[in-house]
Amino acid sequence: MSDNTTTETVTLTVDGQDVTVPKGTTILQAIDQVGTEIPHYCYHAGLSAPAMCRLCLVEVEGAPKLLPSCVTQATDGQVVHTESENAVGMRRGVLEFYLVNHPLDCPVCDQSGECKLQDYVFTEGRERGRSREPKRIFGRDDFGGDVLFYGDRCVMCTRCVRFMEEIEQKPLLTIVDRGTRSIIDTFFERGLEEAEWGGNVVDICPVGALVSKDFLHKARAWDLKHTPSVCGSCSQGCNIDLHTRDNLVHRIKPRFNADVNGHWMCDYGRGNYEWLNRSDRVEEPTFVDDGRAVQLGWDATLEALEQRLAGVTGGVKAVVSASWSNEDLGAVAKFVESLGGGEIVFRSARAEDESPLKGFPSLARRRDLVPNIKGAELLGMTRVGGDEGRGGLEGVADHDGLIVVLGDDLADQDESFGSKASLFVYLGAHTSVGASAAHFTLPVSTFAEQKGTFTNHEGIVQEFLPALEAPGSARPASYVISSLVGAPA
Amino acid sequence: MTDGVPFKNPGWAGNTGEYELTEAQVRGHDYVGTRPRDGGHPAGAGSYPYMLVERHPDAPLFEGPYLERFNKIKTRYPDLRATLLPTLNLAQEVRGHVSPQTMDEVASLLELPPAYVRGVATFYTMYNKQPIGRFLVQVCTNISCNLCGAEEVLKAFLVYADTELGETSQDGNFTVIEAECLAACGFATCVQINSAYYENLTAKGVPELLEHLKSQVGADGEGEGG
Amino acid sequence: MGYPYSHDSEVPILTKHFGEPEARTLAGWKARGGYVALEKALAMSPADVIEEVKASGLRGRGGAGFPAGIKWSFMPSEREKPHYLCCNADEAEPGTFKDRELIRWTPHQLIEGCLIAAHAIQAEHVYVYCRGEFFEATQVFARAVEEAYEAGIIGADLMGSGHTIDLTVHVGAGAYICGEETGLMNSLEGRRGEPRIKPPFPAAAGVFGMPTTVNNVETLCAVPHILANGGEWYRQWGTEKSPGTKIFCVSGHVRRPGNYEFPLGFPLSELIHDVCGGIRDDNALKAVIPGGSSVPFLSEAECRDCMLDYEGVVEAGSMLGCASVIVMDEKTDIVHQVRRMAEFYAHESCGQCTPCREGSDWVVKILRRIEDGRGTEEDLDTLMEITRQMTGTTICVLSDSVAAPVQSSIEKFRDEYLALIRRGERVGAA
Repeated sequence: MSDNTTTETVTLTVDGQDVTVPKGTTILQAIDQVGTEIPHYCYHAGLSAPAMCRLCLVEVEGAPKLLPSCVTQATDGQVVHTESENAVGMRRGVLEFYLVNHPLDCPVCDQSGECKLQDYVFTEGRERGRSREPKRIFGRDDFGGDVLFYGDRCVMCTRCVRFMEEIEQKPLLTIVDRGTRSIIDTFFERGLEEAEWGGNVVDICPVGALVSKDFLHKARAWDLKHTPSVCGSCSQGCNIDLHTRDNLVHRIKPRFNADVNGHWMCDYGRGNYEWLNRSDRVEEPTFVDDGRAVQLGWDATLEALEQRLAGVTGGVKAVVSASWSNEDLGAVAKFVESLGGGEIVFRSARAEDESPLKGFPSLARRRDLVPNIKGAELLGMTRVGGDEGRGGLEGVADHDGLIVVLGDDLADQDESFGSKASLFVYLGAHTSVGASAAHFTLPVSTFAEQKGTFTNHEGIVQEFLPALEAPGSARPASYVISSLVGAPA
Repeated sequence: MTDGVPFKNPGWAGNTGEYELTEAQVRGHDYVGTRPRDGGHPAGAGSYPYMLVERHPDAPLFEGPYLERFNKIKTRYPDLRATLLPTLNLAQEVRGHVSPQTMDEVASLLELPPAYVRGVATFYTMYNKQPIGRFLVQVCTNISCNLCGAEEVLKAFLVYADTELGETSQDGNFTVIEAECLAACGFATCVQINSAYYENLTAKGVPELLEHLKSQVGADGEGEGG
Repeated sequence: MGYPYSHDSEVPILTKHFGEPEARTLAGWKARGGYVALEKALAMSPADVIEEVKASGLRGRGGAGFPAGIKWSFMPSEREKPHYLCCNADEAEPGTFKDRELIRWTPHQLIEGCLIAAHAIQAEHVYVYCRGEFFEATQVFARAVEEAYEAGIIGADLMGSGHTIDLTVHVGAGAYICGEETGLMNSLEGRRGEPRIKPPFPAAAGVFGMPTTVNNVETLCAVPHILANGGEWYRQWGTEKSPGTKIFCVSGHVRRPGNYEFPLGFPLSELIHDVCGGIRDDNALKAVIPGGSSVPFLSEAECRDCMLDYEGVVEAGSMLGCASVIVMDEKTDIVHQVRRMAEFYAHESCGQCTPCREGSDWVVKILRRIEDGRGTEEDLDTLMEITRQMTGTTICVLSDSVAAPVQSSIEKFRDEYLALIRRGERVGAA
């Protein structure tokens, strides 16, 4: 037996270029591999292909008609033309059909700038449509959840219907009526509020028919900066892009990762970004000197801290948040170790159940509602407190040695937390009553403001990049701490 | 319809002089007779006319003989989904139209998502999405009938039933709509009224037909169309 | 015999007992030689039945004209999964009215054809998909099915053959597109009647995902006669490529419209002028649509030498379709009729494919405007181009069906469009 595990392949020609693909590949995928994009609406890599938009038609030598590349299998020796007169002419024709009833309301449409109808028509549509006829009017409908439907913009690709049917497997959407009167709808008043993954239909809608209520009229697509990141809302670690403008996160979109989240993300994670925009931030390093809070900049503050550390007694206790990166948590661990070791705990909110995505079994909104539980655990940190992410700090609050807190807002604590400590260092993003007794309050950046990694529930380490600028003098916790570890004690 | 009724549909083959047939013979009523409410043999249990005069919008889905028919229908298909059309037919037969409530109930009977049932029900034009008149008058205005004066026939129905296209007359008797080809092109103009075809109809024949239909209402609360 | 009129020169095979109420009953059908062919077929192997039908050259009567025996031979010869036969009784092509007559006059003929075909393709269940509107014909058929079940002609061990074939009467709910075989299968499965992409073809994965054959009513009704008398016998009629007899549905402006059965290859002009008694009111012939409203118009001149078989009509410039001959006299407003046909297809488009969903409606809107006297000559070019883009670009051929009458009417009756556009003159409006 040979250990040859390569699958059978076929070689075809796409626009004069040879391409070899595994048997069973569709022509559309082969075209993709060549680096050309063939226009399409109904085809989506994560869904079944109904071949109904008729945009991806290509000319295949020997075939009597143009063939839908999304469902036609590539075969050996096939000669495919995507740019032949016939294929281009047909696409131009189909695009004109799409515009017969389209309202052309791009100036007020949220999709403008990331709209496939706009893109395709601009690239290869007719300069002017020939229809002089009155347009069909469907109007607007609230689909429930975060989803708003503009019927007139719909291209009837049915991706949304298929997502709900095949992936979430809660068929809350359907096509109502038929022919030119057909329209996407819910079962009367029962809509996507029953869905937990409904926001994905907005992502996969190639036009502005399904839009997010949350994002409605907030920003133009071309003004948004897209930064690859990892969702911070549970331990699944969905790959996302943070869409920002004016140093604010405006929305979260899933980013494809075949192993983790495919094309999808849950509504909970998608909607949970406002905390990244909080304005109650710790902005300047502050320390208490002779009973007075002073802000003398990082250098002086860290120098003062080094001095205070040298005299500290009573052992170290640390509280961290698993919403901080492996690098930040690792720095804390190293720091504690450098001081002779001590207990490091974290608290995290846990949901009652997982909420799996039936059509993509490896994806679920996990029980742990923070991104880096696994990372913290691998670093030997211990979970304390209840499922609501509170409590469990009784042993720390009254500690008389060194207390180090990273990221945990201490929201359930009062002014007395750490008041008996010989030294209380708060590395935080947000101002907190629980940190009132801190001797040192050091502003750190959130994951959205820095580079780093999270380890997801399966142990996959995933990188994120800075999408926002940290406020004031805030900097990554790992920078702050490592400068202490490196310093002579 | 029985032969005792004075109205004579002008469209019967007997009128051509080649066949000597009664209306019951042409329509096949003499052969079919009255089909049992419980559906008879399961093979035909899903084939009953569902455009009827009598309607009970609040009747349950299903009970009595209708439940028997529903159960028979289920034995004829490999899965429940396939019984959706026959079940909607049965629901319309009972209730007269397919309301959102009816779609929802059918959905739970067949373990299908309600939105799915709505999608299917709205694909098919014979499901009345709202209540209609006692008689649903569908005038074919497609090509062969159109060539033979169907538009005049349609106008005549609207005038004599005193209603607008797609609306129901004040007395609740007639809803008049245009129909697509009824596959009776050799008998133009063809009009379907509830479950029965009226063929070779001319605009002139419309008032008499409407009077005939009105006379069917009231006597026993039921009427033609079964 | 034709119904409601007949003609001496007809060759009534399928229509022989039209207008005979007794022929509907099981006893009446048996007295007319019914179910002999079924008994004979059940004693044959499925392969032999297919061979006999192949030998007859019988072509599908639903419109496409694909040889029935060859279609059956696509079914897997081993029955590893359930096989299904669907009888397409969803007759809805404008101009076509033969299947309803076959069902209501000769229900047992259809049952017999279904059972023979089911045996040939080794189907265990036959679904007869009846058009929803056919309430009366369906009652007749259901009664006949009941009688046949009671007599052991359908069901377990039918006619003592040891085989089991069930038959269910399924009723549609108003959708022309369910006459398309894959739309029919979706509808039968309880879905929206949207046509499916092929491949997979029905013989590989059809209704309920199982090997399926879909045959038209008229095709199946011809089968018992072929089995009873042999394939060669059937070939005595018709042409080499289009053997046998065909029911011609004649409607429109003729004196004696109706169904007439003739050998394929029958001259169109003889059908109109002799069999059907000529044009009403002594008017002149203007145009004919020879195969249901989805095929191109034939002008008067094109009709003269047109032979009604699959090849002959193509030669004349159209298609035989289901041999639904729609006759139009000189007073016909062609633009009006084309608009009405286009409205029909727009109404019946399932809405899946963009060219059909958007195109058919657009065509209607332009035609309405032209009819209202607000058209331009440019509109005619636009119509030609839109309909070209609607041809061959969709999953099924409904879209092509909009194109055929529009394109052929603009080509052959351009003057009528121009009269409306330039002078607001409408034919027959005087």
